Amino acid sequence: MRTTKGEKLFNGFNVLFMLLLSVLFLYPYLNQLAVSFNDGSDTAYGGITIFPRVWTLENYEAVLSNESFLRAAFVTVSRVVIGTASGLFVTMAAAYALLKKDLPGRNLFLTMLLIPTFIQGGMIPNFMLFRSLDLINSFWVYIFPSMFVFYNMLVMRAYLGTIPISLEESAKLDGANSAQILFKLYLPLSMPVVATISLWIAVMHWNDWTTTLLYVQSSNVQTLQFMLYKILKESELMMQMAVERSMQSSGESAASPRITPTSVRAATLIVSTLPIVMVYPFVQKHFVKGVMLGAIKE
Amino acid sequence: MTTPEKTMKAGHARTTWRRIKQNKLLYALLSGALLWVIVFEYVPMAGIVMAFQDYDIFKGVFESPFAGLKHFEAIISTPALSKAIANTLLYSSVKLLFGFPLTIILALLLNELRLMWFKRIVQTISYMPHFLSWIAVASLAYSFFELYGPFNDLRLLLLGEDASRINILMDSDNFLGLVFFSSVFKEIGWSTIIFLAAMAGVDPQLYEAAKVDGCSRFMQVFHVTLPGILPTVMIIFILQAGGILNANFEQIIGFQNLYTQQDTEVINTIVYKYGLQQGKFSLATAFGLAQGVCSFLILYVVNKLAKKISNVGIW
Repeated sequence: MRTTKGEKLFNGFNVLFMLLLSVLFLYPYLNQLAVSFNDGSDTAYGGITIFPRVWTLENYEAVLSNESFLRAAFVTVSRVVIGTASGLFVTMAAAYALLKKDLPGRNLFLTMLLIPTFIQGGMIPNFMLFRSLDLINSFWVYIFPSMFVFYNMLVMRAYLGTIPISLEESAKLDGANSAQILFKLYLPLSMPVVATISLWIAVMHWNDWTTTLLYVQSSNVQTLQFMLYKILKESELMMQMAVERSMQSSGESAASPRITPTSVRAATLIVSTLPIVMVYPFVQKHFVKGVMLGAIKE
Repeated sequence: MTTPEKTMKAGHARTTWRRIKQNKLLYALLSGALLWVIVFEYVPMAGIVMAFQDYDIFKGVFESPFAGLKHFEAIISTPALSKAIANTLLYSSVKLLFGFPLTIILALLLNELRLMWFKRIVQTISYMPHFLSWIAVASLAYSFFELYGPFNDLRLLLLGEDASRINILMDSDNFLGLVFFSSVFKEIGWSTIIFLAAMAGVDPQLYEAAKVDGCSRFMQVFHVTLPGILPTVMIIFILQAGGILNANFEQIIGFQNLYTQQDTEVINTIVYKYGLQQGKFSLATAFGLAQGVCSFLILYVVNKLAKKISNVGIW
């Protein structure tokens, strides 16, 4: 194929533009990575790019030895594990049951599950419900309210539908019941969709922080992302105090601490996002699949 | 009713009953989802009644006095709420009018990349912010715009050492730009997926035919690619326009600070602050309900219009 001069020029600029864009996407994160390894009092002078200037591990030591941070990490990992396992179980069980076209009441149940995707009670009625269920300030507020997602069930059901019915029939002849068929026959055969939906649920759990904001005041059950929120809002407060102090007494500066809110925030950010950032390039195809399926359905 | 019909009906009922009994285990498997949807979706729906009451947390839904449409009238007469509606519409429409075309342009440019490995790397990098939570992105922004952060370093580099270091995050005038650009940063890469898929679905023969007719690569974009992805574009547009009353709660809460929060409330954040922080449960519920109903109406109207203009709709 012949390429004209104009096209070559365009291709060149396009590649250059994409490089620039990639830098824009990566730079803030890489900068935080550098800040997290940089001495806090040195960071306060400015000028940190993507390389630490005064190398230190103190920021990470401060974060990783902090008791409430460790508890938040434990809560987060627990909710990811328990939330994903229970969510997957409920989704898969419902998907399998609703696969059976001759199940009496199937359409009624499907409609019942569908309607809430259009109408919801909203934030305040939810709060009242959680209050009466004793979910406020409880770890289980992370698990139960987000246990089922209609869309995930549809995706799961569509996949289960592709497994030949003859396998199920022969298993039935051997005397297997529905539960055995689901867990011993369908589950091993549907690993791709199980992986996909598990990842969706897991990332949702890892990244959620508004549940904590809305329904949890107790510091025992906070999550990592909520820690990030707290640090962000508190360093804002500290910043405001610093501004006010410098206005009151310009000139005399207190000895600058070696660990600053900025450096602690950077280290917290890195620790609480690194698992996702490390893993997503390898599992992105599972998430892309979700976008595509949504498009076909719409 | 004649006798044969009766027996048929009874027989039918009997077989249905037998089928239900046969499928006991399937119902057991389904029960988790059904119980969940009743408790966590239908029960809160009943809680909407609160919008029409003077809800008292000690009396509960059944004992609280009826208040009619009082709270809906308050939505219009409370300046803070009108301001929140205005802000919501402003942020969403700017996102829709400018963010949407930007996404399509980026998708077109990505589509023109000929080096597949390069394209894949750029795409992967552009997905990264999508996998971060909004609070992580807000945290990145706060660090980026900090007095001694990269933004001010760059500012001094460009304007000379005498330029002052400024904190743009403390000024509510910058909030719109912040909301817009952070949305672009977080989601533009991810949003191209759907358009790129649509572009891949365009019949290659159309490009060949356009080439034969003397269409340059640039003109092919207008005559082949864009018309080819129009249905997808319309659908995404309808969905986004339908969400115009839904400012992103996580984003706004994440970016607000002590200096800006007064001027930058949106519907979702005010429902949270009035309802959960100040205990104005009924007013907040009414506001949330009005938002939900209006959103649905907007989606309905936009869908109708889109169908009339381009024959594409979501239902």
